[in-house]
Amino acid sequence: MRELKIRKPTLPHDPPPIALAGMNARALREQRFGWALVSPSVFIILALILYPVVYNIYLSFFEFKLTGDNIFVGLRNYVGVITDSEFHLAIRSTLVYVFFSTVGTTLLGLGVALVMNKKFPLRGFVRSLILLPYVAPVISVVFSWQFIFDPVNGIFMDVFHNKLGLFAERFSLIGSPDTAIWVAILFGIWKNFPFTYLMILSRLQAIDETLYEAAEVDGASGWQKFKSITLPEVYFVVSALILLRVIWNFNKFEEVYLLTSNVKVLSVYTYLKAFTGTMDLGQGSTLAVLQFVILIGFILFYVKKVLKW
Amino acid sequence: MKRGTVCFIALLLILTSAAAVFAQGQQAVETRPAGPVTIDFWTTETQSDRMATIQVLIDTFSALNPDITVNLVPVDENSLVTQAQTAYAAKSLPAIFEGPAETAVSFGTQGIVDVATTTKLIEKIGKDRFYAGPLKVLETTSKGSYYALPYHGWIQGIWYRSDWFEKAGLNPPTTWDDILKAAKYFYKPELNQYGILVGTLPEAYAEQCFTPIAMSNGAALFDADKNLVFNSPEMKEAVEFYAELAKYNPPGPQTWRARDYYLQGKMAMFFYSTYIMDDLALQEAAMGSLTGDNFKDLAGADFDPDLVGKTRVASIVTNTSSAGYGTVVALGLFDQGDPAKTAAAQKFLEYLYTPNAYITFLHMAPGGMNPMLKEIATNARFQNDPVGIFKRYGTEKMAEIIDGLENIETFSIVGGNRIEAASEITAKQIIPQMLYKITQENVSVSNAMAWAEAKMKKLTD
Repeated sequence: MRELKIRKPTLPHDPPPIALAGMNARALREQRFGWALVSPSVFIILALILYPVVYNIYLSFFEFKLTGDNIFVGLRNYVGVITDSEFHLAIRSTLVYVFFSTVGTTLLGLGVALVMNKKFPLRGFVRSLILLPYVAPVISVVFSWQFIFDPVNGIFMDVFHNKLGLFAERFSLIGSPDTAIWVAILFGIWKNFPFTYLMILSRLQAIDETLYEAAEVDGASGWQKFKSITLPEVYFVVSALILLRVIWNFNKFEEVYLLTSNVKVLSVYTYLKAFTGTMDLGQGSTLAVLQFVILIGFILFYVKKVLKW
Repeated sequence: MKRGTVCFIALLLILTSAAAVFAQGQQAVETRPAGPVTIDFWTTETQSDRMATIQVLIDTFSALNPDITVNLVPVDENSLVTQAQTAYAAKSLPAIFEGPAETAVSFGTQGIVDVATTTKLIEKIGKDRFYAGPLKVLETTSKGSYYALPYHGWIQGIWYRSDWFEKAGLNPPTTWDDILKAAKYFYKPELNQYGILVGTLPEAYAEQCFTPIAMSNGAALFDADKNLVFNSPEMKEAVEFYAELAKYNPPGPQTWRARDYYLQGKMAMFFYSTYIMDDLALQEAAMGSLTGDNFKDLAGADFDPDLVGKTRVASIVTNTSSAGYGTVVALGLFDQGDPAKTAAAQKFLEYLYTPNAYITFLHMAPGGMNPMLKEIATNARFQNDPVGIFKRYGTEKMAEIIDGLENIETFSIVGGNRIEAASEITAKQIIPQMLYKITQENVSVSNAMAWAEAKMKKLTD
């Protein structure tokens, strides 16, 4: 009697049963080989990123000595930093700097992107010209700004005091502690808005024209079109840009320090504490850890509430 | 293909470990006491022309001592301490460094310099040949031992427009009263002209301007028993006087860079070191500045080629007593734990003190770099500098300036005793920060001094 063989129907995408074991072994080998290939990069990342972070956290619990005999001080560095009035000032300056520079960069970037999305002669040339502040080296533009605002030789005082007589006397806009932070904010907005503009512009160009045409048929005004079409379309790009800008400006050092030298935002304060004078690397590390914790807290909140991921 | 890649990675690993072994082998060779020795020399003279001059000196030395190789490494003065710290942690401190005396002392108190060899070397060169003042600045707490060797130094003074002073019938700015009177007289902001420049930005320059003013009023940070006496009536007077002078500054917080305003004929006086001499004397140095010639539309005067003839210096400030200020730049030996390297470093330093090498080094910045050996100051070759500073100012004036080195005073030497905590206070820039609070943030003198005192106490406890 012939044996009746019941065969499982083979679907076109099923692997042939005999090849299965061989494939598993191959996949495993492939996987292992993949790990072998990425392991140098993983090692480099661990050595260059994870190790400094961990060592920084470790240092924040020690009084650092040049001779290498670090003394464990527990939470003393943290108590010292948190009760220091200069730390509170640094937090305040940082919040003011981050808030206004982010808002300014975003609004200006959005505005310029909207304008640059319209057709006009020489648009390509103007579009690339706008990128100039972003691509110019920080140090050279900082020197130009310092020269512009120099109280004795600068063009700003020459125009507004000498020629127009708007100010009764010469003063140092960039040097005076009351005004320096606003110059730093203005500089940050001017230097960084092109990036925001570029990102938003590319999103604007991807919006389907028919949406606007349909709205026009329904008799929507310019503002209504912006509110109901443009804004929802660019919402996630702008939200992501705000998140990035907050992270970048929260850690911003070179622009603020080179331009004003007396605006002590957290990163500048950390640098001054850790690397100048008698160099308190323990407290410097503590500040860096706190800065990290504050930033992570903000990112988690923002991602959950604003980006709704 | 895959096997080939694995083989390639394996080969890479073998090669890198072989390189590591080879490097260790090299280290082993270097630490051997005999045979060729390589030492590093950290210099704060980072400008390329100065580096080239030092390299010529090193090449000459190497020709005479073929077994010793000296590597010249430029290190920015402001990052010297940080660099030393990382080098210490990596066990790669150089054999020799050149840097400000206060930094050398701070390295000394951290216990990373070779005091024994330094002291032996100073004795070998001849203690009597050095100016006494600079040696004192580098002495350890136990007398007769030194943290580093004084190599060159500058004097600070008030540089002023003698022609303006004569025309106005004012005395040279040597006493508190005369300085303030002149600062007030020449302060004409409506004409974009200012009376004086004192440091108000929280930088070392502010303390350099403030120190002779405080000392000329008998104010100190510590008494001879190392007690903090900062908050004294004398110090308060000095701070108030300084704040008063700062009212006649150009607007905003200022530092040494504002000396350009003097070169432009917009300022009557400024505190500065002898490094200004070549800027004053050499037209091209000043022309590079922001003069009216370069920016026709700006208010102010053109560069005056006769400025050097119209400039005089008052190097001593007088009130209840007299005080001068200057800085010593030292050559120091980091502890190497290797006799061969120490011996090589010692030999190189001895060479740097031989007249020809020494004068070549000092001529990198005539006027700015002044000798620490008395006999070099009167050496005819030294006085015949390549830019003609001595000819312009006259050897007598130069001798007077160099002699000022003998009387260098700092807050860290009281009654001939070194007070290490004072060097820490200088390094932490507490005084400049206090002066900034008073002059720029309108904090009252007593509040700012109380703040500074609290900071100092925290450092010294």
